[in-house]
Amino acid sequence: MTGSTTRAHVVFAHPCDDSFSRALCDAVVGTLAARGWEVDLCDLYAEGFDPVMSAAERRGYHTVPDNTAPVQGYVDRLRAASALIFVHPVWNFGPPAILKGYFDRVFVPGVSFRLEHGAVKPAMTHIRKLGVVTTYGASRLRAMLVGDPPRRVVTRAFAHAAKPDTLLYLALYDMNRATQAQRAGYLARVQSKMDRF
Amino acid sequence: MRALIVYCHPVEGSFNAAVRDLVRARLQGAGAQVRLHDLYADGFSPVLTAPEWQGYLDCPANIDPVAGYVADLRWCDTLIFVYPTWWYGLPAMLKGWLDRVMLPDVAFLMPAGAHKTIRPGLQTVRRLGVFTTCGASWWLTRIIGAPGRRTLMRGVGFLCAPRKRSVFAAHYLMDSSTEASRAAHLARVARAVDRLIGRRGGAAVARAEAAE
Repeated sequence: MTGSTTRAHVVFAHPCDDSFSRALCDAVVGTLAARGWEVDLCDLYAEGFDPVMSAAERRGYHTVPDNTAPVQGYVDRLRAASALIFVHPVWNFGPPAILKGYFDRVFVPGVSFRLEHGAVKPAMTHIRKLGVVTTYGASRLRAMLVGDPPRRVVTRAFAHAAKPDTLLYLALYDMNRATQAQRAGYLARVQSKMDRF
Repeated sequence: MRALIVYCHPVEGSFNAAVRDLVRARLQGAGAQVRLHDLYADGFSPVLTAPEWQGYLDCPANIDPVAGYVADLRWCDTLIFVYPTWWYGLPAMLKGWLDRVMLPDVAFLMPAGAHKTIRPGLQTVRRLGVFTTCGASWWLTRIIGAPGRRTLMRGVGFLCAPRKRSVFAAHYLMDSSTEASRAAHLARVARAVDRLIGRRGGAAVARAEAAE
């Protein structure tokens, strides 16, 4: 199955409707839709996504294609897309658990990568555009000192799984002390990037 | 010595369970009190809820939903994680333990007044041990940047006592592991735990404990 050339899958992870993350998500969805993209929003909290990989899933992890059965709907939506965008806050130098669980359970062998003689080969190549829109509590410096784990996973691991033409990682650091103007500036930047995405 | 082991694996009888048992036995053999958070066995919910997020900064009420876990974290002076590495990071279950238990006024102090940045809150933790298994090779993990290792060793490590001792051990290429490679790894874990709790070369830890 290959993704529609104008279908964007937006995966959103934040528990609250009045959060800044929600405003960022609305900006992403709105801007893409206005440009004619068909947007499939996956709001993990609203959909009650279960991030916990079960013992049975773990045992069947490498059994392609049966391994997708527990999350078939999510896999189908991912495969139907040509653009994939994650919108989420960074908590403790990683995505919220609900989103980490999406990676654990949906990005299984045969969907995001294939194992060939022990080597990892890309399997998510229908995703031509890959983006992340996020916020950090940590400052850019502190995130760098830690090694910025969430950025590395996307720009190295996911980028290898999809080999996208466009890779975008947008982040507002030091979110707790950001002024209203800084937030508004970031929101505008996200809109303008999505306008050209 | 008061050790908290945070353990996360869905399959009982997994290799990670063997690592957990070895670490626990080693610690107990050295006279440590040990508490275990077995997240799958506990049925721990890793999803930080909307009310929790809204009350996130509301100390100390923010600990109420996870009070038992917080009490153990505050109790320990030795913090150990045993888990499989998935997508170069922590399983969602373990990530959720960080999200929900590592709270303001527990693990860190929020910026306030003259303090412009987040400050460490786990100053009583003097030993940090991280034991994991990776499907990827050592090289691939390095190329990606070892996000899981960095999240715990640096991210959580930053929150602990400044002169803490820390150890890390991973079994790479887990899917093609052999009985010999697993045995070698268990021996490596045993040595790492000994290094973590040993006195040799750890004058700072010994002095700090003597002062208690």
